[in-house]
Amino acid sequence: MPPRRRDGAYVHNAGTSSESEGFDDIDDGNYGDKRKNKGKGKAKDTGKGSQDKGKGKSKEQAYAWEATYTRSWDTVQEDEGGSLQTAVEDLLARGRRRRLLEPSSAIRRTIIRHLMLLLDLSSSMLDRDLRPSRFDLTLEYSRQFIVEWFDQNPLGQIGIVGMRGGLGERIGDMSGNPQDVLKAISDRRRLQPDGDPSLQNAIDMARGSMSHLPTHSSREILIIYGSLTTCDPGNIHDTLDACINDKIRVSVVSLAAEMKICRELANKTGGVFGVVMNEDHYKELMFELVPPPAQRSASRLTGGSTNFSADLMMMGFPTRLPDTSPLSLCVCHSQLKGEGFLCPRCKAQVCDVPTDCDICGLMIVSSPHLARSYHHLFPVKPYQAVTETGLSPSPKCHGCSHSFPEKPSATGSDPTTADVISPLGRYRCPDCEKDFCADCDVFVHDVLHVCPGCQ
Amino acid sequence: METTVSDSPPEHLSLIIDLSPTQWHLSSLDTNPQPLSLRLFISQVLVFLNAHLASRHDNTIAVLVALPGKNVMIYSSSDTIEESDHQSPLDESNTYQPFRAMNSAVVQRIDEELGAQEHGETEAPIGLVGALTKALCHINRLTHPTASANPSIAVPTPPNPRILIFSVSPDLSTAYIPLMNSIFSAQKLKVAIDVCKLYGEDTVFLQQAAHLTGGLYVNPERRDALLQYLAMCFLPSTAIRRVLGMPTQDHVDFRAACFCHKNIIDIGYICSVCLSIFCSPVPVCSTCRTKFPIKTLQRLMLNRPSPLSNGHQRTASPAPQR
Repeated sequence: MPPRRRDGAYVHNAGTSSESEGFDDIDDGNYGDKRKNKGKGKAKDTGKGSQDKGKGKSKEQAYAWEATYTRSWDTVQEDEGGSLQTAVEDLLARGRRRRLLEPSSAIRRTIIRHLMLLLDLSSSMLDRDLRPSRFDLTLEYSRQFIVEWFDQNPLGQIGIVGMRGGLGERIGDMSGNPQDVLKAISDRRRLQPDGDPSLQNAIDMARGSMSHLPTHSSREILIIYGSLTTCDPGNIHDTLDACINDKIRVSVVSLAAEMKICRELANKTGGVFGVVMNEDHYKELMFELVPPPAQRSASRLTGGSTNFSADLMMMGFPTRLPDTSPLSLCVCHSQLKGEGFLCPRCKAQVCDVPTDCDICGLMIVSSPHLARSYHHLFPVKPYQAVTETGLSPSPKCHGCSHSFPEKPSATGSDPTTADVISPLGRYRCPDCEKDFCADCDVFVHDVLHVCPGCQ
Repeated sequence: METTVSDSPPEHLSLIIDLSPTQWHLSSLDTNPQPLSLRLFISQVLVFLNAHLASRHDNTIAVLVALPGKNVMIYSSSDTIEESDHQSPLDESNTYQPFRAMNSAVVQRIDEELGAQEHGETEAPIGLVGALTKALCHINRLTHPTASANPSIAVPTPPNPRILIFSVSPDLSTAYIPLMNSIFSAQKLKVAIDVCKLYGEDTVFLQQAAHLTGGLYVNPERRDALLQYLAMCFLPSTAIRRVLGMPTQDHVDFRAACFCHKNIIDIGYICSVCLSIFCSPVPVCSTCRTKFPIKTLQRLMLNRPSPLSNGHQRTASPAPQR
């Protein structure tokens, strides 16, 4: 583990809140046991609770230096053969367990999303506590985030606002084209951090650029905040109320420590708040916001009257013309072009989808755009770990046709993981009752989203 | 820029054969311009597979068949073939042994599977998507060898995978969502899906599959020259295809199947909450139970049949009735 100890720094960050229970589930997934004895700092008094990841233990141990020093590498146990197989399987089991806890039934999610990404470009972003620096890492993760976000929310749009020199700065306009958004943050020098950030100015700017959006789409703000102060022209609580009124969901990823106003912004608008522990955790926090949010969180806050936001939209699915088709003028740029898409209603040629047809106003989407989000609606049920085979077990995995191991592995007998890790390496679909290997289990649930047996 | 053979990874080909008895029967009828029987087809495919294996010693294949209501992997290079068939090697002493083993295994399993089919009144829908998902699982296992494999063995370079589908059945609109999910998984795994449409109308969904994954969609004009299509279009790897002139798809239809009647439509009504597609305005979304405002319904209903009403809706022409 690199000697980057930020614990000391955070003791000085007084004035931040100590409520951080929200982190428990993240921790249990990956870090849990290895780290939980490292209660760092005074959770209650100095209020840096988020840094010790909200573990209850931190309340008993007043300061980090009073806690027993835990060597995290000691918790990784080698098995008799000296291999790390057991530890790896344990990690796998945790991943599985987390997935099992997720609801497998269909839930309502917002799918047409609009997100404003608020990047802190204040001088605090030049800190090097995240390698190579907060600023560079943020840009790198933002790029990955945008690519992944558009992959999962193809009908969504992202805009980018920077916070620099006490102002909100428009960096990229709301756009549905990932290339446009990526281009906006491609020039590192143009975004050079400087001065103080202003939460209020930036949020107001983001709010303004989302005011025209239709009601059925979601409005979200993701704030990446490295500073511990904000330099606002007015009362930021007014801005917060305005966000609640506009039903804007504000999520904050803080790179430094927890700030009361950031947590309040997230809590009151139904967003997520997180403080980054290390580089990987940063990515994890950010990427948690990629899947479309369930709508119930919004309805709870607005008092249940969500139906007004639903609507039925008419959309057309175009035909794609090849390169070689005869040239004709496109309706969007009036250029002679061979390739393009034909509006199914008025047969006008447009250059790119999704778009609104300039002639008849029909919204044109290609059906793969829509289909990309269907796996959120019809998730595959979690497979059950098989602990004992029946009379005639199938010799091969139903997915990849690899043979199952003949004898159960010794490591699987651990009672804590028995419900999620099968000693036989078999996982059974509750619907089609076919057996799958661990690899296929992960693949089917994470990538494929279709059970090969049920088809 | 030149890469030697040893630099580039080997090729893995997953072959999915649609073995719908009805469609193959129709295909072999003499009323067709070029009748193609299953026997003839299999023999040409075997030559193609041999060519694929022969072009490089570590090329691999997997063969899956889609039958009505089921799908089976009948051959995989990683399997050890039990020499249970009693054909003595002397019968075909001039054949290269691995080819003979593969050929006989494939033919024998196809015979078995077809023989095991029940002869009902109606044919169950073909399990093509299931075969596709299985092929993807198999490829995932090949390209991401995990810790469960013996770590002492050096991991060979993962092969360059692709999938070739021989389709004879028409589109199965009930399989729309699983098929789309498979396509996106193939994109993530960087697997090209090639489609060879042997009989019947073009299938919209497989066209989309080939288009989205960067594969080829070929509907042979002369089915009696199938082997030539196979050798010229589907034998080259995706890397080589870039420098060859490959047949392009002219029109890709981006139509979708509606959730309510499984019709394939070009103008649909979309629920803004879950993006379910309906072929006509509905008051309640069947997927997420969202109730839609009555105003929208009225507007859409008005909009749909008559071309001249609602000038402010900017409708230039009526939505086609289906």
